[in-house]
Amino acid sequence: MIRFDNVTLSYKGSPPALDGISLEIQKGEFVFLVGPSGSGKTTFLKLLLREEVPDSGTIWVAGRDIGALSHWRVPYLRRNLGCVFQDFRLLPSKTVSENVAFALEVIGRPRNVVVNQVTQVLELVGLGQKHARMPHELSGGEQQRVAIARAFVNRPLVLLADEPTGNLDPATSQGIMKLLDRINRTGTTVVMATHDVGIVDTMRRRVVQLERGRLVRDQARGVYGYADDATISGRGMRAISIVDTSGEELGAPGLPTGRVATVRARRGER
Amino acid sequence: MAVPLEYAARETVANLWRNRMMALAAILTVAVSLSLVGTALLLRQAVNRQIGQWSDNVSLQIFMKADATPQQLGDVRMMIAQTPQITRCGYLDHQRSYQQARQVLAGSPTAIAALTPATTPTVFKCQLERPGDAPAVAATFNTGVPGVYQATSPSRSIHVLQQVANVLQLILLVIAIVLLVSSLVLILNAIRMAIFARRREVGVMKLVGATNWFIRVPFMLEGLVQGLLGALAAVVIVLLSNIGVGYLIRHYKISVFGAAVLPAHDLVMTELVVVLIGVVVGVAGSSMAVRRFLDV
Repeated sequence: MIRFDNVTLSYKGSPPALDGISLEIQKGEFVFLVGPSGSGKTTFLKLLLREEVPDSGTIWVAGRDIGALSHWRVPYLRRNLGCVFQDFRLLPSKTVSENVAFALEVIGRPRNVVVNQVTQVLELVGLGQKHARMPHELSGGEQQRVAIARAFVNRPLVLLADEPTGNLDPATSQGIMKLLDRINRTGTTVVMATHDVGIVDTMRRRVVQLERGRLVRDQARGVYGYADDATISGRGMRAISIVDTSGEELGAPGLPTGRVATVRARRGER
Repeated sequence: MAVPLEYAARETVANLWRNRMMALAAILTVAVSLSLVGTALLLRQAVNRQIGQWSDNVSLQIFMKADATPQQLGDVRMMIAQTPQITRCGYLDHQRSYQQARQVLAGSPTAIAALTPATTPTVFKCQLERPGDAPAVAATFNTGVPGVYQATSPSRSIHVLQQVANVLQLILLVIAIVLLVSSLVLILNAIRMAIFARRREVGVMKLVGATNWFIRVPFMLEGLVQGLLGALAAVVIVLLSNIGVGYLIRHYKISVFGAAVLPAHDLVMTELVVVLIGVVVGVAGSSMAVRRFLDV
């Protein structure tokens, strides 16, 4: 679905934001992009959206070399990529359903399709009752759900999320993650940049860690922590088997007890 | 690629309303400048028509007395033939002279009523090799030649009038161009503000994959509408001023300016030019704004 081949990008007069990144993401995967601020997570997402063009290397999305895409085709690339941000980016003058419908209207979808899709997706994110509200009348979590609905309403192949839980409290974040997980289960590839240790550790999905533009770790079913990487790999494997067999089980027995407790506590809140 | 018309229209109207003060300024400036353009164009046509009628490519007219005898007429013909400066000459008999007088006096029915073919002087209309010789040649016919009422050359005043009109027209056009440039800048600014006011929408549109034209068209349409509305206001102003001038000419029986009242055809052409300029200014202003401030 997504392939980076030795991708490098420098912004003017600074060290490379991304430096020789090679990486492949399969259809239907859920990938966490972790790393400190300035490590290149957002640049990674911008490259996928072709808001930036790499200095060297190629990026493939859905079998297309997006560097070779002519300027006027870029919008069609973006129709395959849903986008969610930390700051929601809703239109304050439009209601919930208008915000979601906007995404379909501006790509020229006919009226009846818009109405259908919007109703469906609002049900999916659990805001069917609040379709007529204005964004400012909603909580942060609800606003992010609207943003996710807008990103997903066109059924994109890939959902990109740039710190979607950055503005939300842990309990609300869990709800958002559950929603992203559900979207992922429909076959949508999800790439999520995040700082949230708890979420990454709980979800146990593929973790791609960037540091100063370099890919320093690419771990299936990884955790956020980097320092205890060496010790965690064995436990990671055990955790995998548990997740695989139980499906819904998110706890990782190999983790320090404190963390597991946190995880359990959060699950209890839901 | 196609941009749904309904969407574009709705967005354009909403934008214009949201940004109405700025839009009003742009529209009024377009209206004022295009009124001047229209006025200048009409003035030029009116002056040209009037002068054309007055001089009619003739640099010398010899008016005969209404009761001139055929003998006297023949003598004058001889005299014309013997004047080397005259290259060509036409004679208008009573009937044709009367017809022409009716045209010249079209603006004042009472003057026409006073004329009959019999009382209208017949006239020789002559062209000279060098129009500058006209006063001298006219003088030779004004020395009491029997049957000649008066010989006239187009007076200097016509040329003075033409020059005054030219200068006036030039001033109007210069002011109009300055105003057109400022209306272009005002439209550009209005569109820039519209783009700024809608930067969130534009951001979302780019994100969800709206095509560049889909994003641009409402803004360009907004500029076009501003230009068009200004032009339509100017059309009304020019039309009213033309009617006003026509009324004045008729009311005060300034029949010598009768030809300055333009026929409908000329008026329509001028108004079309005004509308066209308005549209061009609107589209140009908004295109520049879109190009500079809307990076899609």
